Amino acid sequence: MSLSNLIQNWNSFRTRRPYEGQYDDAPYKWAMVIDLDSCIGCNACTVACYAENNLPVVGKERFGKGQAMHWIRIERYWGEGDTMTSEFPDHGAQYLPMLCQQCEAAPCEPVCPVGATHHSPDGLNTQVYNRCVGSRYCSANCPYKVRYFNWWNYPDRAWPNPLELQLNPDVTVRSKGVMEKCTFCMQRLRAGMDKAKTEGRILADGEVLTACAQACPTSAITFGNLADKKSKVARMWKNQQVDLAKDSQEKSEEGIRGYRILEELNTYPSIVYLERVRNLEA
Amino acid sequence: MNYGKRIFLWIVLFWIGSAQVFAEPFVQGGPIGSQTSDGYDALGPVVEQPIEFPHNTHAGRMQINCMYCHTYARRSNVSGIPRLDKCMGCHNLIEGVKDRPRIKKLFEYWENKQPIPWKKVHDLPDFVRFNHERHIQRFYFQEKRPVREVCGYCHGDIASMTTARRVKALSMGWCVSCHQKDHLEKAGSTVTSHGPNDCWLCHK
Repeated sequence: MSLSNLIQNWNSFRTRRPYEGQYDDAPYKWAMVIDLDSCIGCNACTVACYAENNLPVVGKERFGKGQAMHWIRIERYWGEGDTMTSEFPDHGAQYLPMLCQQCEAAPCEPVCPVGATHHSPDGLNTQVYNRCVGSRYCSANCPYKVRYFNWWNYPDRAWPNPLELQLNPDVTVRSKGVMEKCTFCMQRLRAGMDKAKTEGRILADGEVLTACAQACPTSAITFGNLADKKSKVARMWKNQQVDLAKDSQEKSEEGIRGYRILEELNTYPSIVYLERVRNLEA
Repeated sequence: MNYGKRIFLWIVLFWIGSAQVFAEPFVQGGPIGSQTSDGYDALGPVVEQPIEFPHNTHAGRMQINCMYCHTYARRSNVSGIPRLDKCMGCHNLIEGVKDRPRIKKLFEYWENKQPIPWKKVHDLPDFVRFNHERHIQRFYFQEKRPVREVCGYCHGDIASMTTARRVKALSMGWCVSCHQKDHLEKAGSTVTSHGPNDCWLCHK
């Protein structure tokens, strides 16, 4: 491999963008819609994620140091308009579930020195634990701060006997020194996709859900296959006038709530958030 | 350094280098303790099973399909170790061999209502997902290749062994070497495709 070849490959890697019709022929492109108007901040999604993905509970002290391992977290924001000064300031609390946005042009991917994170054909940003050497560059480059580093060897202490029996056998128990992140419950998707392939079809809409979407009591999280134009998620993206391949969305009218977080950074996330609606005058 | 010494050094260096480059990625059924270039045992350790199960009698001489006992291979990630009543289903009715020591041991387990504690031979690391179903569906049901050949891609010729023993490397490079080959799409067709190569297909 010549030097010019190397530089060219590197440049194409760095400047990769999703393009119109990229997933037209692909069977799957996983995507999500989170309706912030439905989210009540109950943390059921976080709990479901802990149970499904073998996440260690780190304890108060390490949580305070920012070493928590929650792949999906509920961010809480205060104050909307005049609510802070009103009689009931709690009414101003609003919640935002933050998880890996599975960016199409993910900032974490080109910086990994060992190629432990890459883009899968179904549009997911993957993390291969036993390839990871723990440089933490990806986490530094992630604008959403949704990559979590194992500072401690949690398998030693997070699940004292007999708690290790609750671990999900389909998910690796990560050890010290590796980065981890939301996988869109790859183990569920993989099981479903394998089953569907044997039966000679593609997954039907809603056949496989992520743990967070399944646990959400208000159905604020919608998960599905964006490559399937008839899926619920694809219809919601279309109705909200969000285009995967564009970095700024033009809305035809006021009141269309769909947006993607930090879109101006050209990350092309796979998660659309629907803005909260509040009537502050009432 | 004089000329002769230098030549000698180059020859030695080349010999070492070529031995590394041209070494087989694994030695199938190599001598016990021999290692592959990636540090795996070419031949797995001998695993002492509670009963010395003769695969050569069942799969070899009797021509029983592997999936008669390993029944989950075609519909699940794991192939499954048969339950004791699967053994008894036949051996209750085979009077001729009931006095053999291995069969006596089998009946002992049955009468004590104890499962046989079989030990795992083909053990993959915990971070790897291998799906039996997809491989069996593709090569056995779709392409109609013989079952001994299909299972043998990863397990070797089990039908010539008594208790199973690992004879393939089962390392990542070894998996990928097959996934990169062109396989026929269907029996008799000329269209080829290779196995998927996405990291998350096997790494979990």
